[in-house]
Amino acid sequence: MAGTANSLNPESQAAAHAARQTELRKRSSGRLMIFGFLSPTLAILLFMVAYPIFSLIYYSFFNFSALRQATMKPVGFNNYKFLLSDPDLWERFIFTGKFVFICVTLQMLIGIFVGYQMQKNFRGRDVIFTLLMMPMMLSPVVVGFLWRYMLNSEWGVINFLVSSAGFAKVDWLGQTNPALWAAAAADTWMWTPFIVLLATAAFRGIPETIYEAAEVDGASPAYRFFRITLPMSAPVLFIALILRLIDSFKQYDLFVALTGGGPGSSTETVSFSVAKTAFSYFYTGEASALAVILLVIIIGLSMILVRHLTKMGEKY
Amino acid sequence: MSMRMRLMASAAALAAALAATAGSARATDLTFVWHAGTCADALTTIAKDYPDKSVRIVPALVPYGPQWHDKIASEFAIQGDAFDFAMWDSQSTAEFAQHAVKLNEIFDKSSYLKADIFPAASLSRYGEYPDGSGEFFGLPANQDAYGLTYRKDLFEDPKEKEAFKAKYGRDLVVPQTYQDAKQVAEFFTRPDKGLYGWGQMGGRDYDFATTASNSFLWSFGGELYNPQTMEVKGYLDSPASVDGVQAYVDMFKFGPPGSTNWGFDEVNTAIQQGQVAMAMQWFYFNGSNVDPKVSKFADKIGFAVLPGAIGRDKKFRRQFSVGGQGMGINKYSKKLPELTKFMEWYFQPEQQKRYAAVCQTGLKAVLDSPDWQGLNSYNRQFSTALQYLNDYWHLPEYPVLLDELQQEISNAATGAKTVQQALSDAAEKNERTLERAGYEIKRGDKAPEVPDQVISPVGVDAVVPVE
Repeated sequence: MAGTANSLNPESQAAAHAARQTELRKRSSGRLMIFGFLSPTLAILLFMVAYPIFSLIYYSFFNFSALRQATMKPVGFNNYKFLLSDPDLWERFIFTGKFVFICVTLQMLIGIFVGYQMQKNFRGRDVIFTLLMMPMMLSPVVVGFLWRYMLNSEWGVINFLVSSAGFAKVDWLGQTNPALWAAAAADTWMWTPFIVLLATAAFRGIPETIYEAAEVDGASPAYRFFRITLPMSAPVLFIALILRLIDSFKQYDLFVALTGGGPGSSTETVSFSVAKTAFSYFYTGEASALAVILLVIIIGLSMILVRHLTKMGEKY
Repeated sequence: MSMRMRLMASAAALAAALAATAGSARATDLTFVWHAGTCADALTTIAKDYPDKSVRIVPALVPYGPQWHDKIASEFAIQGDAFDFAMWDSQSTAEFAQHAVKLNEIFDKSSYLKADIFPAASLSRYGEYPDGSGEFFGLPANQDAYGLTYRKDLFEDPKEKEAFKAKYGRDLVVPQTYQDAKQVAEFFTRPDKGLYGWGQMGGRDYDFATTASNSFLWSFGGELYNPQTMEVKGYLDSPASVDGVQAYVDMFKFGPPGSTNWGFDEVNTAIQQGQVAMAMQWFYFNGSNVDPKVSKFADKIGFAVLPGAIGRDKKFRRQFSVGGQGMGINKYSKKLPELTKFMEWYFQPEQQKRYAAVCQTGLKAVLDSPDWQGLNSYNRQFSTALQYLNDYWHLPEYPVLLDELQQEISNAATGAKTVQQALSDAAEKNERTLERAGYEIKRGDKAPEVPDQVISPVGVDAVVPVE
């Protein structure tokens, strides 16, 4: 190739050089333009995301209270050591894990079932669909208070129904296990519509011809559901699963209104502990360390799930 | 109308609008933070009559509970001036003092606003930090105490009196001890008729459970800690403290199912619906409990001072939680002169008398006036209750200590732990918090069985009835 270049006459070489220069200029001006367009977004992202995260990590190494600033002193990894050796925090993780598992399982199962029904055409479908979406539009605090009243053991509607059916009234929010199930019920009531929404969209996106072909081949409805509907909508359902896992894991506001973390501290999620440590105790350093731990867990979980999603995308 | 006239009229209207806007822009807004309710509304209503119309009092109200504390604390944390003054709990003074104006400076400069216009005990309770230092960061704007409400119609019913005497061999009267209260509560507990003997808070939120349980704990001779040695172990879990909290937990047997999760709203509802024969409730709420618009039993509710208890040392004590709030000034506010003038006006007897008609003033001139006790049906009892008040830790670590105690009292109330276990765990956590905050715990040889003999006035040999 070098011989080819050398064989060109000087004029051609100059022309080629000029063309290269023009190309480089174009490229560099293109890069500049791209950078120009991106820089406001990058600046906002740096300010809104990177700065708080770095501050969070920085403060996590200090014994520091935003309310009592004179007390700021470096403590190395002591905040992390204290938190990870605190049995109360492990209880919060266990509770959060149970809550996430129950909620996400219920929401996915009910959501997929209802979504499958909602993809069919029937009279009044749009009205029912709109009504189904309503809980999702409420604020979690409102949902918390709403369920708190409904679950009141004396005058709540749920115990009214329970006692009307001949069963003993349940102290839903005053006992550890019923409180977990009550919170899971409230969260499921609120967020199952989200799964229904995505599942319906995914199911309706599957070409009708595939079902027709399956029907011609004599496939049963169950076969069609498990071999066609579910696999073909898996990427969307998986995204729904990821979003619900992350969202349930950081659930806070529902518990503030519904149980206040009680009885005892049995319904305190990890996010609840972060908020309490940061804004009630004002142990800013310790809360930062706890938030970093939570962040690492959520990022780790998301990475595993996203990798799985990518593989799934390649498969389907 | 000609075009010229129309233009002139439009210009005049525009000028008037601009002048009005400029006028309102000149107005000074004094913003205060408090929890929403009758007393915040009363302050706002009274402030509308403030003669200086260039000053407006703007409420920034939040629900009662952690949000209220957190709103004040968050603003202090950023050293902001989004509010100029705030009403905070007596026990929060220690936490907020470094962000509040020291009122001694105002007392020195003002011709009216002096420490002696308030009862010394009230000023100390709602504003002094550290205890006994003579430095004040809050004025007793809204005093409160735990009290007893009861159904007069039941207590005065001859049939009930007769039945009670037949069962217990003594007269049915408003109880003076928790031991008596337990019997009366048991007598009135009739779930088949929707009637229960006792209502009290047990909820996990904020200070719901512990304001109630502390009232029992102190009356039985227990203590939260020893402020001299900073010991919690041996005090919070002392035999007397366990007796007190056990008595509190036992009272849930005579309350409606689920009352271990109750806050003040549920207690009020139970009182207003006549569901409970007796209830522990703040005097703060009595205005609504005797309001026929919201309370079915408005004319049947009686008020009394909370019972005391005969402790294991056979002494009688009566102590219960102080409520209410002090009024503190945000030291980052840029409107201190206007605020001082407003306070000089607001704490005049004329304004405080209006306030006292619905809430509990801390102004001595009103409290000492002969007509104050007759302003409503509960002031007489409230004036007596003021003698028996006790409070949480006056330490900056209050929110952490409170949350730890709330958690364990809630565990005891719901049966997740025994009272002894819950108090021992709370003591362990409280000491860890104090040590982490840098306090030195000087461990004594042995904590007394009834620690109140060391710290608070000792009990007396006989029950002292309060009429």
